[in-house]
Formats: sequence, structure tokens, C-alpha cells
Amino acid sequence: MEDYKYLFKIVLIGDAGVGKTCLVRRFTQGLFPPGQAATIGVDFMIKTVEINGERVKLQIWDTAGQEKFRSITQSYYRAANALILVYDVCSQATFDSLPQWISDIESFAKHKVLAYLVGNKIDQINSKEVPTYIGKQWADRFEMRFLETSAKDAENVDILFYDIAVELTKDAREKDKLESDCSGFNISPNTKTINRCTACFKF
Amino acid sequence: MAASINNATSATDLETVENLTDMKQIQDAYLKLCKDEEELSKDLDNLLENQTTLEDKMIGLHKTLPNLQILQTDSKQLCSMVTFTSTLAENVSSKVRQLDLAKSRVTACMQRVEDILDLKFCTDGVQAALQNEDYETAAGHIHRFRSLDENVLKLSSDMNQGTSLDTSFKHLHEAEEKMKTIVHNKFDASVQARDVASIERFFKIFPLLDLHEEGLTKFGKYLAAKLSEDADKRLILVLKGTDSTDRRSNVLFADAITQLFEDVARIIEIHQPLVEAKYGSGRLITLLKIIQKECDRQSRKILGEFKSKRDFDSRLQHVQQSLIFHKQLTVEKLDPKDLDVLLSEVVLLNTRTELYLRFLKRRAFGDLETAFQDEDKRKEKEAEVDKVLQSCDLSRLLQEIIGSYITMEEYFMREMVLKAVVMDSTDSGSQTSSMVDDSFFIVKKCVRRAMSSSSVDGVCAMINHACTILEQDFREVLFNRVRAGFPSGFDLTQAYNIVQSSIQQGKLQSSDIEKTKAQFLTTLNNAEVSSEYSKALKSNLEEEVLKLFAQCNEQSIAKLESCLSDLGAVANKFKDVLEFGFSQLTSSVIKPKIKPQIDAFLSTSHNISEEEFSNYEANDPWVQNFIVVLDSMLGSFKESLTGTNYDKFVSLVTGECTMQLEKSVMKSVFNRLGGLQFDKELRVLVAYLTTVTTWTIRDKFARLTQMATILNLEKVNEILDYWGPNSGPLTWRLTPAEVRQVLSLRVDFRSDEIKWLKL
Repeated sequence: MEDYKYLFKIVLIGDAGVGKTCLVRRFTQGLFPPGQAATIGVDFMIKTVEINGERVKLQIWDTAGQEKFRSITQSYYRAANALILVYDVCSQATFDSLPQWISDIESFAKHKVLAYLVGNKIDQINSKEVPTYIGKQWADRFEMRFLETSAKDAENVDILFYDIAVELTKDAREKDKLESDCSGFNISPNTKTINRCTACFKF
Repeated sequence: MAASINNATSATDLETVENLTDMKQIQDAYLKLCKDEEELSKDLDNLLENQTTLEDKMIGLHKTLPNLQILQTDSKQLCSMVTFTSTLAENVSSKVRQLDLAKSRVTACMQRVEDILDLKFCTDGVQAALQNEDYETAAGHIHRFRSLDENVLKLSSDMNQGTSLDTSFKHLHEAEEKMKTIVHNKFDASVQARDVASIERFFKIFPLLDLHEEGLTKFGKYLAAKLSEDADKRLILVLKGTDSTDRRSNVLFADAITQLFEDVARIIEIHQPLVEAKYGSGRLITLLKIIQKECDRQSRKILGEFKSKRDFDSRLQHVQQSLIFHKQLTVEKLDPKDLDVLLSEVVLLNTRTELYLRFLKRRAFGDLETAFQDEDKRKEKEAEVDKVLQSCDLSRLLQEIIGSYITMEEYFMREMVLKAVVMDSTDSGSQTSSMVDDSFFIVKKCVRRAMSSSSVDGVCAMINHACTILEQDFREVLFNRVRAGFPSGFDLTQAYNIVQSSIQQGKLQSSDIEKTKAQFLTTLNNAEVSSEYSKALKSNLEEEVLKLFAQCNEQSIAKLESCLSDLGAVANKFKDVLEFGFSQLTSSVIKPKIKPQIDAFLSTSHNISEEEFSNYEANDPWVQNFIVVLDSMLGSFKESLTGTNYDKFVSLVTGECTMQLEKSVMKSVFNRLGGLQFDKELRVLVAYLTTVTTWTIRDKFARLTQMATILNLEKVNEILDYWGPNSGPLTWRLTPAEVRQVLSLRVDFRSDEIKWLKL
């Protein structure tokens, strides 16, 4: 059961109702629950994926967006290996509150944590309020990765999580290598190359 | 040619026989024929033997033949009989079916007649009962009448006595309407008059008139009003009784809300059987919703009073400000101790609420279980109950309060830990300083308090915060102290003695450098103990959590376990500090201390004459002095370090000794006596180190001991007595190349001999 090489914690944050729970459910269970109730406190799901032949366990923490749970959800930031900050492309208001979220990340998360900015609900093309390039600009400004997704149509959802898993695995391997180098063991140098093409993902 | 003739003979063709001319061929043919004859007669004998058995069988068959004929006729007879019976049965059963149909019609007819009679009876009964104000009977009649199929009755009656039936129905409908108004009015009147008996009396009538929802709503409202009245009265009493001398004054509001919950629970306890008996199961939720609404209203009042009387919001604000202006010293900080009592009351509020909500859930689920056999339908209803309970005002209010609680509890924990660090002191005779015990005590207290709130998310959050504080804030303090390093004084031995004695005497009046040294060692001990404490904290909390939250769902348990495992990982962070500290100690104490001694070894010749060898025996060249130095160094640290740390220190010293000595051996030259001398020296050293450690150090000296063995050889070839298949229990730690290298240190060994050695 506990057969995996790495364990990563991914924490989803963002305003209430932007679709964090739906993104998680889409990725972990492959379904889109309509009429999802507001998350209470923090929920978590697990999915094990295979990255270049190695099993990687993703522990995905889905936090409540409502203000009253903030003190609980913030306690999870520090242990996170990656943070996904979600807004709703159809709601300017959820985009406008990003600065607050960014400042929270800066005060509570680990320095230089892998952060992703995600604009969700792109299936509702007609009511889109935040243009893609604006989101992209924002992400660039705060050195975050950027992706627009639809939990409903499953668009970019797997890509989002797999990209994170690949990146974290890469970092972890480099760290492992560094440590083993320090302790005097030599690992053949060709282990360093990591193939990052998405076609290699095994589902 | 001859061959073909032979073949022909074997065919025993007479013509061929006649054509035979050669005597030998004739003889052959004759022999062949004789043989054939013999075989044929054997075959004939066999056939004749079989003849009797075959004849017997034939006779048997002849005998059975007549029997078979009888059997055939019998079978035919049987077949016709079966056919006959089946037709007969067919006929009978069709008649039975007809009878059955007729019977069911008769029954239906009787039923209808009975219904009509009932109707008559009801019509008469209702009038009489209404006149006598016997509402139960009247409602019973109406209930009976409602269960009759009106349309069918009308159909059957059209022909003969239609008019009287119609009037009956009309009467009954009128009576029903009348009953409904009466029950409504009477119920309201009873509520007004606070006549509990009548209220219950009319409450029971509602379902007979098919007014389940109305009945439950009215009754619910009545109960809610009663609840509200009691709660209001009590709140006034509570507010009056904010006497600070009372033992319970610190948890006044928790007590108040508990009483409210107890009231609600009592109401449900008392009325649930009544509802289930008269309204059927599956309807409790309607009543619960109404009562919960009132409970929400009352809770809001109590919590509102709680917040204002306890300065909840203003304290929260104060804490939030302190968190924002973390580094600005100008902002006056809230004394964390001021929060202690408040926090304890908050967790009590929450745990009571959780308990209450669980009670409601259990009741509602129990009701649904008897009502719905269908799994899916029940799940759906259960989800509705969950939603009602999760989204009720009370839940929301408590979620907010727990959120604020976490902020304040975190503040409390961090400030108290920082305070413990500031007030850090070392007691005489203690190897650690006060901040370790104090900090871990605080962290444990805070997490356990969060646990007593029964809020899973609250506990998880506090465990996370505990990790942060230990791993970041507290570890940082230790790390910075270790990073300052261990100062290397001029006269080390003396310095250690002073540290030691000052710790023993409990006063640190010696110079700053000694203080720093003492503090460094204390910090090492702190880090070691902290690592152990972290593990203990994790396992203690885990045990308690699993006990306290055993009834929670899997998801919650998994969440708790994940957070706890992070707490367990904190131990490793302290280990890192410890490792770093020891590396500091190695470079500033161990290395400089051992280096001169090893140099003494180097400067001692091991290419010695007999005379020098015996001279060494009397006047030891270096090893005794080395041991004295080691002993004083180890001795000076023994008192100041914890057991584990001291072992670690000795292990580092030993490691350094062996490493340096190995290097030096490789740089020296030996003759036979020198090798013997070295072997002696090594034995003395190992013997000494064995006395100061609890574990075996021989393993660490394995390579050196093996080197000594090699240096001690008479001849080069002698090595083969110990090598390869002759090594016995000995495991060589030296590679063949190293063995050659060591051999070449012997000045009296020839290099080509070493080179040709087969290892």
C-alpha cells in the first residue's frame, strides 16, 4: 500500500466558490459534482501518480475559501510543497482578492514554494470577465506558473497536477542527488536528465 | 530370384508348391505349411470354445423376448393413462380458477358492503362524536372514511341507492372540514391556555386528519416558544450571576449554552416516541428543524453575550494587530496569559456544541433508519439531515469562534514559547536549560486544549502551528546558539575544568568565554532532548487523539494522522541542529586536541633497535600521554553532556583518533620491533577507550588492529596465513592494495616480494 518514492503536499487556496473542491474531485475521482456545498475547514484527498516510472503520492489539501476558516487553512501553508491559488475567470471579484492571497503566501508559506495561479471555469466562455493575458501577466509578476482550467470539462486539470508532480519530483531528485553526493556516494550522472514531455505520463 | 520364390512359398499357393523343384525349397514349404496348419487348428479350437457361450447367450435372449413384448404393451397403457389424467387435471384446475375468481369477487363485494356499512356508521358516528366533543372518535371516523376509496364506492352505488350515499359523503366531507378547523382552533387555544394535556391531545389528532406537516409545525412552534421562554429567563439569571468569585464564573457561558442544549435534548427525548407513534417514523426531522431554529436564536444570544462580556472581539483584534505588526516593538502586546481562561471557555463551548449536534444527528438518523428500508432513499435523507445540521446558525457561529480561537491560541502558544526562551535559565546540575521543558509543556498544553474542543480542523490547525513553532521559532533559537560555535580557548584543559566546576557549583561567575562554552553544551543537550521530546509529544498526542476522535469518520482520522506525522518529523530537524553542533565541536575541540598527540606518534620512530624497544618499555614515548589527554578531555565533557550526547562525543573522538592514526601510520616506517611496539601501543589505547564507553569500540579500531597485525609479521609470506581461505572468523577491512601498502611500510620487507604476493 505505502509503496511510493515521494510524498508531496499540494494546497489549494482562493476565494469561496471558485471551484477548488471541484478541481480536486475532478483530478482525484474524475467527476464533477454539481451543486457542491461549501467546504468546511479543510478536506484532503490522495492520488498516486507515476512520474517517469516512479510512484509519487500527492496529498491534496482542499481548503475552505470562506474568511472564517482562514486561521485554520493558513496553518497548512508552511508544510505545502506546492500551492495552487485559484480564481474564477467569470468573477472579477475573485481576481481582485489575489493580492491578499499572495501576501498570505508570502507570510505563511515556505520561501520559494512552487506556486501556481489557476483561472477556473473557462467552460463558461460567455461570462468570462478576466482575460487570459491579464491572468498571465499577474502570474509572471509574482513568479507563479499559470494555467486556465475547467473542472467541469476536465480541461487542463490533469495537466495542472501532473506538471506540479513532475516539477516537485525533479526538485526532490536533485536534492537527493545533492545529499548523496555530499555523503560520498556517486550516482551515475545520467540520472539527472528528466524527461518533461507530457506524453510520458502513465495514467 | 531365390528370395522372390521364398516369398511365393510363404503364400502357400498350391500351384507354386507344385512348381517347386529344389529339395530344400520343398522342405521349407512343407515346414511352413505345417506351421500354418497348426495355427489354423488352434484358431478353430478357440472358435469352438466360444460356441457354447454364444449359444447360452442366444438362449437367454430367446427367453427375454416375451417379457419385452409385455413391457411394450404396459408402457402404452401407462402413457394413455397419464394423458387422461393430465386432461382431467386441466379441467379441474380451470374450474378451480373460476371458483377462485368468483370468490375474490365475492370478497370484494363483501368489502364494499362493509365499506358502505362503515360509511354509514362513520356518518352517524361523526355527528354524534362532534356533538359530544369526542374529537378522537370523530377524527377516527374521518380517518376511516378517508381510507375508503370514494370513487369506487360511488360507482357501485350509482344504480340503486345513490342519493343516500352522496349525502353521506357530503356529510363526511363537511365533518372533515369542520374537524380541521376545530383541531386548529382548539390546539391554538390550548397553547394559549398552556394546557399541556389538551395540546398533546390535539397534537395526536392532526395525523388522523392527514395534517402531519401542520401538526408537527404547530407543535414545533409551541415547543420552540416554550424553549425560548425558559432560555430567556435563564440568560437573565446568568447575566446577573457574573460574580467572579463563583467557581464556575470562568465557564459561565459554556454552562449556559450547555443548559440550553440539555433543554432541547430533553424536549426531543420526551416527544420523539409520541411523534413516532402518532405520526410514523421519518418525520422527526420536520420537528427538529423548527426546534433547531429556536435553538439557533438562543445560542446566538448567549454567544453574543459571551463575546461582549469576555471582550472576545477586542482581544481578537489586539492579537491580530500584534501579529501584523510583529516586529514593531512600539505596539503594546497583549499578555498571552490574559487569554488562557478565555481560550479554555471557548473550547468548552465548542465541545458542548459538537456533542449536541452529534446527539441530534444520531436521533435523526435513528428515525430515518426505521422509516426507510431503501438504502438510496435513506442516504438521500441522511444527507439532508447533515446539511441541515452543518448549515444551521449554531454551526456557523461556532465555526467563526473556532477560527478566532485558533488565531488566539496560536498567539498564546508562540508568545509563551518566546517567553520561555527569554526566561531561559540553567539549574545547577541540570544538563538542559529550562526553555526546553517549558516550551514543550506549552506546546502540549495548547494542542491538548485544542483537542478538548472536539473540532478536528481545530486540532489539525494547532498541530500544524505547533510544528511551525518548534521547527522554525524554537529550532532557530537553538541553531543560532550552536552557530555561534564553541570558542577555542588557549588552555583548553583548564577551561573545561572551569566549565565543569562552575556547572557543579551552580554559578557561572567565570569569564564570558566559559559561559559561552557552557551554553553551547547546554544547547547541544537541548537539541538532543528536544528531538526526543518531539517524538514523545507526537506519540502521546497520537494516542490521545485516536482515543478522543475514535468515533470520527475515516477522512478526519486520516487528516489528524497526517498532521501528527508532520509533528513526528520535527524530531529530525532537531537532529540536524545536533549534527551541526557536533561538527562545530569536532572542528573546534576534538581535532585541535588530537592533532598534537598524533604528531607525537609521528615523531616517535618505529624503526627501532632492541635497546630502544626496551627503553620505550620503561619510558613510554607517546601513548600514555595521549591517554591522559583523552581522559581529561572526555572527563571534562562527561558531566556537561547528556548520556546520549556523551556517547556521541566519545564516538566522534574515537573516530577522529582512528582516522588520524591511520593516516600517520601510513606516513611512518616500521621494522619488526617497531611493529611490535605499535601493536602494544594500540592495545593500550583500545583497552583505555573500552573502559570509557558503554558500547564496543573494537569495531572502530578494526582497520588499525589489522594494520598492526601486518606490521607485526615475521616474513612477507606470513600474511597468507591470515588471508583468504585462512582468514577464519576475521573479516578483512583492508583491501589487497592497502595490505601491500602496509607491508611496504616495513623497511625490512623486500618490495618485489610484496609485489609477487598473491592476494
